[in-house]
Amino acid sequence: MAAQLLSGQGFNNIINVAGGFNAWTSEAAFLAEEKGLALFDGVTSVENALAVAYSLEAGLKDFYDSMAVKVDSDPARQLFHQLSQIEVKHQDRILEQYTELTGKPVTRDTFEARQVPEVLEGGLTTEEYANLLMPAYDTVQDIIELAMSIEAQALDLYLRASEKAKNEAGKKALIQIANEEKAHLARLGRLMEETLT
Amino acid sequence: MNWRQFLTPVKSIDTNQARDYLAEKRVEDVTILDVRQPAEYEAGHIPGAVLAPLPELTDYLPRIDPTKPVMVY
Repeated sequence: MAAQLLSGQGFNNIINVAGGFNAWTSEAAFLAEEKGLALFDGVTSVENALAVAYSLEAGLKDFYDSMAVKVDSDPARQLFHQLSQIEVKHQDRILEQYTELTGKPVTRDTFEARQVPEVLEGGLTTEEYANLLMPAYDTVQDIIELAMSIEAQALDLYLRASEKAKNEAGKKALIQIANEEKAHLARLGRLMEETLT
Repeated sequence: MNWRQFLTPVKSIDTNQARDYLAEKRVEDVTILDVRQPAEYEAGHIPGAVLAPLPELTDYLPRIDPTKPVMVY
């Protein structure tokens, strides 16, 4: 019905998803449209968008580090370390992006000083994540699944923030970060397939 | 009277095809539109989907880029 309505309104490339969300089995994002966006309230500049993103990645890195300490099995610990390292690379990428977009050099210290504490990608605290996902971290597969749901949540947050960004360069930066989260998600998907086979 | 003649053909794909389709696109190249109610959206949605509940869908149209593909569910 929605698809028909749109096609009558000048939209000529409409794709209807048969079965809708009930049939969707890939990663989902949850939470209301506005949740987590308060973090990006001041996205009036590209600097601001990137600084918030940087601190979200830092929050996630801390989360993976704390999980690495908690788990008992070696493969699980190694995987959490690996995920943590990926977040460090992602932070480096955000710093590069800052320089690409503003022409100004930046060091980790500048962004570290602007940390948003306690908050993960997706705009949730670690505890909120644990409660929402009720994850079991026993197997490598559980951990990849957890990481994938976090990345999906992050992708969703960055895109929702980009929709609301008041500044065009800030919006572009957020879209670029969302695309990197998407690539990250695809990498985790491949890792999952390798683990299962 | 055949009502179908008034309906524009719309492409329909299943969720696996939708996942593969999205995997090939950059996030800014397709609009994902969730036309369910806000509570349903909150409980779970396709990452990156924009909420535009069916009863208010026409109010949201000016914000959607008609040159991009729009995936609806």
